[in-house]
Amino acid sequence: MTVMKLVSRTKLYWGLIAIFLIGIIWSPLTSSGKNIFLSSGNLLDVLRQVSTTGLIATGMTAVIITGGIDLSVGSLMAICSVVCAMLLTVPGETPALMLGVPSVLLSALVIGAWVMRFVFLNLEKSRTGISHSRDLTLDRVRGVYIPALVGIVLGAVLLFYLLPQSESKFGVLGVLLVVPAVGLLFGAINGIVIVAGRLQPFIVTLAMMVTALGIARLTAGQNNAVLPVYTGSNATADFDILRSLVFGIIPMPGIFFLVAIILYAVVLNLTPFGRFVYAIGGNEEAARLSGIESGKIKIVTYAISGLLAGIAAILYVAQYRQGKPDAGAGLELDAIAAVVIGGTSLMGGRGSLAGTFCGVLIFGLLSNILQLHNINSNLQLVLKGLIIVGTVLVQERNAREILARFRLVFPRRARSEASGEERPRKETMSLNTGGNGNETS
Amino acid sequence: MQEEVKTSRTRAGSRVTTPILEAIDVSKSFGAILALDGVRFDLCPGEIHALMGENGAGKSTLMKILSGVYADYEGRVLVDEVPVQFEGVRDAEAAGVAIIHQELNLVPELSVADNIFLGREPLIAGMFVDRRKGVQAARQLLGRLGIELDPEARVSSLRIGEQQLVEIAKALSINARILIMDEPTSALSPGECNRLFAIIRQLSLEGVGIIYISHRIDEVMQLSDRVTVFRDGRHIWTRPMAEIDESIVIAAMVGRNLSRSDVARPTVSTFNTAVLSVRDLALSVADRRGFKQVLSGVSFDLAPGEILGIGGLLGAGRTEILQAISGATRGEVGGRIQVDGRPVTIRTPVDARRLGISFLTEDRKTQGLHLADTITDNVSLPLVGRIARFGIRNTQAERALAVDAVRKLGIRASGIAQAAGTLSGGNQQKVVIGKCLATDPRILLLDEPTRGIDVGAKSEIYDLIFHLAESGMAIIVVSSEMPELLYLADRILVMSEGRQTGLIHRSAATEERIMQLAAPRSQKTQHEEAVA
Repeated sequence: MTVMKLVSRTKLYWGLIAIFLIGIIWSPLTSSGKNIFLSSGNLLDVLRQVSTTGLIATGMTAVIITGGIDLSVGSLMAICSVVCAMLLTVPGETPALMLGVPSVLLSALVIGAWVMRFVFLNLEKSRTGISHSRDLTLDRVRGVYIPALVGIVLGAVLLFYLLPQSESKFGVLGVLLVVPAVGLLFGAINGIVIVAGRLQPFIVTLAMMVTALGIARLTAGQNNAVLPVYTGSNATADFDILRSLVFGIIPMPGIFFLVAIILYAVVLNLTPFGRFVYAIGGNEEAARLSGIESGKIKIVTYAISGLLAGIAAILYVAQYRQGKPDAGAGLELDAIAAVVIGGTSLMGGRGSLAGTFCGVLIFGLLSNILQLHNINSNLQLVLKGLIIVGTVLVQERNAREILARFRLVFPRRARSEASGEERPRKETMSLNTGGNGNETS
Repeated sequence: MQEEVKTSRTRAGSRVTTPILEAIDVSKSFGAILALDGVRFDLCPGEIHALMGENGAGKSTLMKILSGVYADYEGRVLVDEVPVQFEGVRDAEAAGVAIIHQELNLVPELSVADNIFLGREPLIAGMFVDRRKGVQAARQLLGRLGIELDPEARVSSLRIGEQQLVEIAKALSINARILIMDEPTSALSPGECNRLFAIIRQLSLEGVGIIYISHRIDEVMQLSDRVTVFRDGRHIWTRPMAEIDESIVIAAMVGRNLSRSDVARPTVSTFNTAVLSVRDLALSVADRRGFKQVLSGVSFDLAPGEILGIGGLLGAGRTEILQAISGATRGEVGGRIQVDGRPVTIRTPVDARRLGISFLTEDRKTQGLHLADTITDNVSLPLVGRIARFGIRNTQAERALAVDAVRKLGIRASGIAQAAGTLSGGNQQKVVIGKCLATDPRILLLDEPTRGIDVGAKSEIYDLIFHLAESGMAIIVVSSEMPELLYLADRILVMSEGRQTGLIHRSAATEERIMQLAAPRSQKTQHEEAVA
């Protein structure tokens, strides 16, 4: 039974290993007899391909763990890609600038103030020692005025850094500052509407999905919906960094994805914020009554989801040399599928970024295998759908339960397979344990 | 006990009528806990058979077996002397067994008639719901039972007592021959109780066998023909009413002398400075027709070390007081609250925590615990942020909190990493209390602190409450159990229909006095008010 437990616990990785093995065995060979699937070029290409979905799925995981969902990420990525391409290629007061600069200012204000408060709180904590008895409170100066000032100063600094750039065109750093801020702002709006209006995340983010698409189209302008980005000719050559290989091997988008998912995993596992994310998904009412500011936590998860969509958009623009309003179409569903394949429950409270990482890779490897065989892309969709259902089925039912059911359906065969007389008894016991946690009164 | 068994056997042998329902040697366990240990029970047509026992004695478990809720148990169940095995509630209903659970199971948004025939709606052409016929049938049924209710009224517009009557009508609409009633009077006023008893007697005259479960001994005494007592999952005895009196029943239920040492509580005069003072507390919550006032005119002072009890019927606004003080409600709070003499506004649980107020909710499963999480995670949850160092969780301190709670409260678990959902009710409750105490509150609000836990854990929690009060904590206890209130509280605040109707000192408090204050004003005056 311990073997079963081990298998059950690591089943995430088994799926990944299985698809990897299928890839190796089924891989076409080069003329010199080398395994194409296993070549470093191919595998790194997979990493590059999954980066966009991976970044989005990373943000989506935390949102889903809180019991929510974010359908707007595809459209947010579209907006961000348009903003990014426009900043890179069009000088002057463009719609992208109108959208981007206020986003940066607001983000700087909030983040600057928060960081300052965080520092003051922790200084206070180390001064007074860890006390259980009372919440720490900061006086007005350190709690409000100084943080606000720091936020304003940070915003002003960024403004002075960015505005001169708008005269010509934005550089890489400028884009990396502005675009994620746009995503962050839209994500935060999602969260604020959900929390303040006490609305279903599904509906709110669906509305945002439509709205953001509209804004993306308005920003891009009706006639030239696609904004081409030719680094070196109409945009800065530096931008090519984002599609280059680091140390000549690892694709840059992959680095972004890996850093983001590892950082967020650390946050979810080691910080109070992460603990609260799980607590809210597990039982929001209990969490709220325990004094967790569930509203704030939820807003932050949606904001980060938007932020990661913004980063994904920059990588998209670098990769495909264009920004367009239909950049992220359908991406939200790919991301949700990857998260769910990774074992995160749509009911909330349960899941991990390690799982999401596996889910993203399973998806990416599968597409890669099918592409290597030149399988019709429509058939690929059908296969993807089947894989989603199949893996989730395995995720939700644990192996022991499947086995027990199998024995119920085919009792005679199971008995002949079973060695000794103990088996049937154990079987009924394991079936009965389903009813634990019942109240006796 | 040997003798008792003999008497009941000879009685059963000499009985002319055969039992319509019989349970023989029924056992049922949940994990390691044996909830029922080979109990037997029988019911004759037209008989009112009371089943008594303390919380956790196994009464509800047996009833759930008899009504098909639990299908896996050991032993036999016979209906009309034919062995049966109910696989679900539908099977039991088909055999004529209906149950009215302690908690109401009505759909509030549907009408009385729709609720009565839920899942068995009369149909036109087998496809469309025949509302008119349903209303007619419901009216007939209600008329037969002497219940004056409009079948077309929405259930949410009825008072709790009236909803209880709808439950009864619903149970009888399947032509039940066996009716199980689990604590039907816990939410009823004395007048409503009498009405219910009249209906029960009439049903028994019609030949319906009734299993009546209640904590209130006086009710059982005036109503039933036979009494069975369970204790710790075992059958103690079954005797006809003529052979017993209250003291015999209590002795059998308790089984041992619960030496409730009469605690020497300080007199109120020694409480001088109020840590919490509440004036004209009011609460309105949003509902479909705008705002509805659920609480008004509640005023009291609470001193450090004092235990204030809040009594009243279910739905009288007891919980709402605690919700308003602890920021747990989403409604609009009115009135003035002072902590340490300073006026405060409490909008969220975070505000309450800052002031040192901690709230133990009534329903530990939906509002108190994360059932899938460990004891550590549950106990430390309110403090995770506070004990974190530079944004990184301090898991060592979190575990220390849990170890502390397990030790102080005597939580019986395999370790602090055990999932809260796998603990027994009493230990789950201790985990939630541990969570409340982790924040080191000065004012502790307890809503039904001993609901659904066994006698042993109960007395441990009582001791804990006294201990906390002695250490200077101000405590408010809401309870439906009158003896609990009388035992714990220094003063008792009685609520009725959202209003404070009395604040009685310990020495003046009796069950009768509290019941009197808790009774809702007659429906007639209510009606007059509505007209005016």
